[in-house]
Amino acid sequence: MMENGADNPIIVCENVKKWFGDFQALRGVTTSVAEGEVVVVIGPSGSGKSTFIRCINRLEQHQEGRIVVGGTELTSDVRNIERIRSEVGMVFQQFNLFPHLTVLHNITLAQVWVRKRTRSEAEERALELLERVGIPEQAHKYPGQLSGGQQQRVAIARSLAMDPKIMLFDEPTSALDPEMIVEVLEVMRELAKTGMTIVAVTHEMGFAREVANRIVLFDEGQIIEEGPPSEFFTNPRHPRTKLFLQQILSH
Amino acid sequence: MNRPSLAPPTRPPFWRNATFLKWAAQIGVLFGVVALGYVLIGEAAANMRAQGLSLDWDLLTDPPGIQLGEGIFVKPDTGMEAFYTGAVNMLRVAMSGILAATVIGAVVGIARLSSNWLASRLATAFVETVRNIPVLVQVVFWFFLSSILFPVLQEGSSGPIPGLLLVSRKGISFAWPFPQETFWQWGVFLVVGLLTARWAYRTRMRRAEEMGEETRPLTWALLIFLAWAIVGWFAHPLAGAVGWLFGLLAAQVGAIPVLVYQVMLALAALYLAWRWIHRFLESRRSPAGLAKLTDDDYFRMILAGVLGTGGAAVLLLWPGITELGANVFQALLEFCDQKFDFLRTGAPLAIGQPSVEVPGRFAQIADTGMTMTPSFFGIWMGVTLYTSSFIAEIVRGGVLSVPKGQTEAGYALGLRRGQLLRMVILPQAFRVILPPLGNQYLNLSKNTSLGIAVAFPEMVQVGQTMFNQTGDTIQVILLWMGFYLTISLLISLLINYYNRRAQLVER
Ligand SMILES: Nc1ncnc2c1ncn2[C@@H]1O[C@H](COP(=O)(O)OP(=O)(O)OP(=O)(O)O)[C@@H](O)[C@H]1O
Ligand SMILES: [Mg+2]
Repeated sequence: MMENGADNPIIVCENVKKWFGDFQALRGVTTSVAEGEVVVVIGPSGSGKSTFIRCINRLEQHQEGRIVVGGTELTSDVRNIERIRSEVGMVFQQFNLFPHLTVLHNITLAQVWVRKRTRSEAEERALELLERVGIPEQAHKYPGQLSGGQQQRVAIARSLAMDPKIMLFDEPTSALDPEMIVEVLEVMRELAKTGMTIVAVTHEMGFAREVANRIVLFDEGQIIEEGPPSEFFTNPRHPRTKLFLQQILSH
Repeated sequence: MNRPSLAPPTRPPFWRNATFLKWAAQIGVLFGVVALGYVLIGEAAANMRAQGLSLDWDLLTDPPGIQLGEGIFVKPDTGMEAFYTGAVNMLRVAMSGILAATVIGAVVGIARLSSNWLASRLATAFVETVRNIPVLVQVVFWFFLSSILFPVLQEGSSGPIPGLLLVSRKGISFAWPFPQETFWQWGVFLVVGLLTARWAYRTRMRRAEEMGEETRPLTWALLIFLAWAIVGWFAHPLAGAVGWLFGLLAAQVGAIPVLVYQVMLALAALYLAWRWIHRFLESRRSPAGLAKLTDDDYFRMILAGVLGTGGAAVLLLWPGITELGANVFQALLEFCDQKFDFLRTGAPLAIGQPSVEVPGRFAQIADTGMTMTPSFFGIWMGVTLYTSSFIAEIVRGGVLSVPKGQTEAGYALGLRRGQLLRMVILPQAFRVILPPLGNQYLNLSKNTSLGIAVAFPEMVQVGQTMFNQTGDTIQVILLWMGFYLTISLLISLLINYYNRRAQLVER
């Protein structure tokens, strides 16, 4: 395979299969992601995009095939799962901030308990990251007091505080109003520039075209086409891709 | 920019002023209620007089000539003693019942959520059975079960666990430690132990939060408390010094003239009001400056001021109140003084042996272990299990109310299961659980009045026996209402206090 980042892969998936009961959500996914690569995953609703990236940090458990993240294989060994989770950050569509903790505390909690930093170190890092995502003045508010865009930026800061090697985004802007989408995409764009490895499910085609190194199209639990944005958008090979691009670009 | 100029605001006439109307309505309602109460009570008193009924309270001081099944005074000399016995019996059931129902409810609720098939099925069966049978039926069921299932008491029987547990138709009795005369001296060590344990808990907890280490705060606190308890067990005569201190204080309290207390207390009342207003203003102040105060805010502050000055005035005008307070305080100090003595030695606790010969007395009196009579067993099992099934549902609902995304976010950050539960799930579940939990506590307390069905002498049963003897129905009903109202209000206050502390900050 050509643009598969095979030279220095940080995520390797081999024939990954996943069933929910007797419904097969992933039907043999094989791909790999290179260090520093930005991969955008697209595809129709229910095609298994979320399931795929949730398998990468074991929020879902795959039943067949192999997933290796940063040299550690995901098995039922708890130590491996912990190691991988501490290297992989994840940002959700619904933000999932802890509503009973202040913004600052949201960002320091896992630093203290998982990364074993002292509270003052953690707070320093948190304020630095809030600065970076553009909302340093919100540190002492509660999530319920922030706008959606601000909450999502806090969620990104919370993940980054763990110094992950990989960031997963599952439709991070789908629950947001247009102005807020811009501010979150801006943060993601900045993040991509720093050389972070990113796997993002998103339908923001502008972002995909500009930032992604590679676009992956899912359909019915399988990757049916992948390639750099220039080729993918202008010269799709698979008829299903053409249809999907038509649908999504028509509005 | 050219803005159209507004006319200066005009004040509306007072009958259209929303602030004035709101205040007028509040004061109006207050007067209305007082007036209605005054008329009704006057009317009732007149009617009672006409029928030859009296509202005197002799029943509290007269010998009631009744016997109670169990409790502190089985043959009370006054009505007061009878009601006191009933109240204590009720509180025994309510407090131990609340504790047990909470534990059982939490365990069953979590079991219903568990992925262990057997555990969740059993828990479901328990909840569905217990909450669908009327509590009165359950009370009677347990009462009769204990008299069918348990063996007849035979001469010299001491089983099933000799010296520890005795089960018979006359009741269940188990060995139980009871305080001796040196208990108070030991208690001093226990209090000191509690305080140091709390301090240790906090320091270890802070360290855990700052350093992210597992510092085992609970283990530390427990060990420190235990160390004090063990040292105190042998060294308790040293605490006799506390008695000497109490004696000294008691003498001083009597020597100071009442006027000094009056002035001090009045000043304290004024200070409290001032501090309340001060804090209230502080809480309304944000970094941006003092927020605009609403009418309600002014109302509260004025009320606090009026209460403070009113309290001070009452204290200064009627020295009797202060004098009574001082006397009670002095009596309390002297009472404490008598509980301590350097020369008093011996174990602070003694183990009472199980016995049902003298049913259900407190062992300080009968010198036996803790005994559950069939009546107590019936009412206790009935209300406890019934309430626990509701608590189980409340706990389950609370945990389920925390969105799945919270768990996922926690795992994605690398939190372990235990950390996730402790720091993310439970704090959020707790605020959903708390208000309905308080309702269940209230229900349990009030359901103890079903004890009358199994002849358990709690407040209602005692009251009924009393008015059968004396005919003072109205007084007994007033006593009942006052008692249950007080208990319920206390529980509500406690729950509301915790509830307020647990609320989420929203926009
Ligand atoms: N927990 C689950 N239990 C059962 N079926 C599930 C579960 N999660 C996902 N599925 C099914 O798996 C399929 C893939 O779901 P997935 O969420 O991965 O789709 P998606 O590509 O992310 O869709 P969308 O764009 O709507 O988010 C869907 O048909 C969905 O119904
Ligand atoms: Mg999805």
